[in-house]
Amino acid sequence: MLTRFEQFAVNEMMGKPDTPPRANGTLCFANDWERTAFGVALTLARNGYFEWDDFRDELITQIGTWEAEHPIDRSSWNYYERWLAALEKAVVKSGLLDPAELSAALSASPAEPHAA
Amino acid sequence: MADQFKYREDREAYSAARVRALEALLIKKGIITDRSVDTVLDYFETKMGPFNGAKIVARAWVDHAFKERLVADTPAAIAELALPEGMAGAEGEHMRAVANAPGVHNLIICTLCSCYPWPVLGLPPYWYKDPTFRSRAAREPRAVLKEFGLAVPESTEVKVWDSSAQIRWFVVPERPEGTEGLSEAELEALVTPEAMMGVAGAA
Repeated sequence: MLTRFEQFAVNEMMGKPDTPPRANGTLCFANDWERTAFGVALTLARNGYFEWDDFRDELITQIGTWEAEHPIDRSSWNYYERWLAALEKAVVKSGLLDPAELSAALSASPAEPHAA
Repeated sequence: MADQFKYREDREAYSAARVRALEALLIKKGIITDRSVDTVLDYFETKMGPFNGAKIVARAWVDHAFKERLVADTPAAIAELALPEGMAGAEGEHMRAVANAPGVHNLIICTLCSCYPWPVLGLPPYWYKDPTFRSRAAREPRAVLKEFGLAVPESTEVKVWDSSAQIRWFVVPERPEGTEGLSEAELEALVTPEAMMGVAGAA
């Protein structure tokens, strides 16, 4: 069946551990960076820079790791933080970006905050 | 509490900065463009989603002849509307509308697969793929609808439509009472994905 990649990619996630937040039939982005992170990952996979399944495996791993580190208090959960972590791994693992190149680009970003 | 709020804000700023940096690097290297994200999202935000279903239902409410054509030949009727391309092709060509009426309530489910009339309804809710929902909705739809807050009178027949790879159903809910004065655009706002799945009425 002829299906758009965008549709295929998101439909694959429905009902799976990496299912994205949504309401009333649409994806939910709490703010713009979540939307951008989603769009960048989808664009890269659509254009063949990495396999969608490989990205999803990374995302599921990221979600699992976070859950293992937060067994009780999950009030700080944010789906797209895990998405972004998976995306940063995927661009390096696929050879698209050099790890040093990525670190350099991210070096101007603020340090990761930790709960008090 | 204040610390918790500050922490949340810091995390947002942290993630936003990293995404911005990553996107900028990919653009600089010519891997993506500054339009890539909007192009991909456009598909979800304006092309395929529940807003299409809402347009179809609102038209059916104001135009009885259209409603009859919609039920008789769904793809042909949808093609009459100025909806995004692809609605009647690909997945769209398998769509079939069923209309609620006095004495008849329709419910769509999918017991076997993940079939969902995406171009009309958008992304399925969490529970749609839940095996318990799928089997119970087929077996005892009236009880399931009641749990959704929709009490269907005993005198009303409940028809359950099981989507497949061949046919993907959606429901035309009944037009709410007291909406005679509303424009078609105002009516569209009353149509929810839940109403087009048959687990809620339009209100």
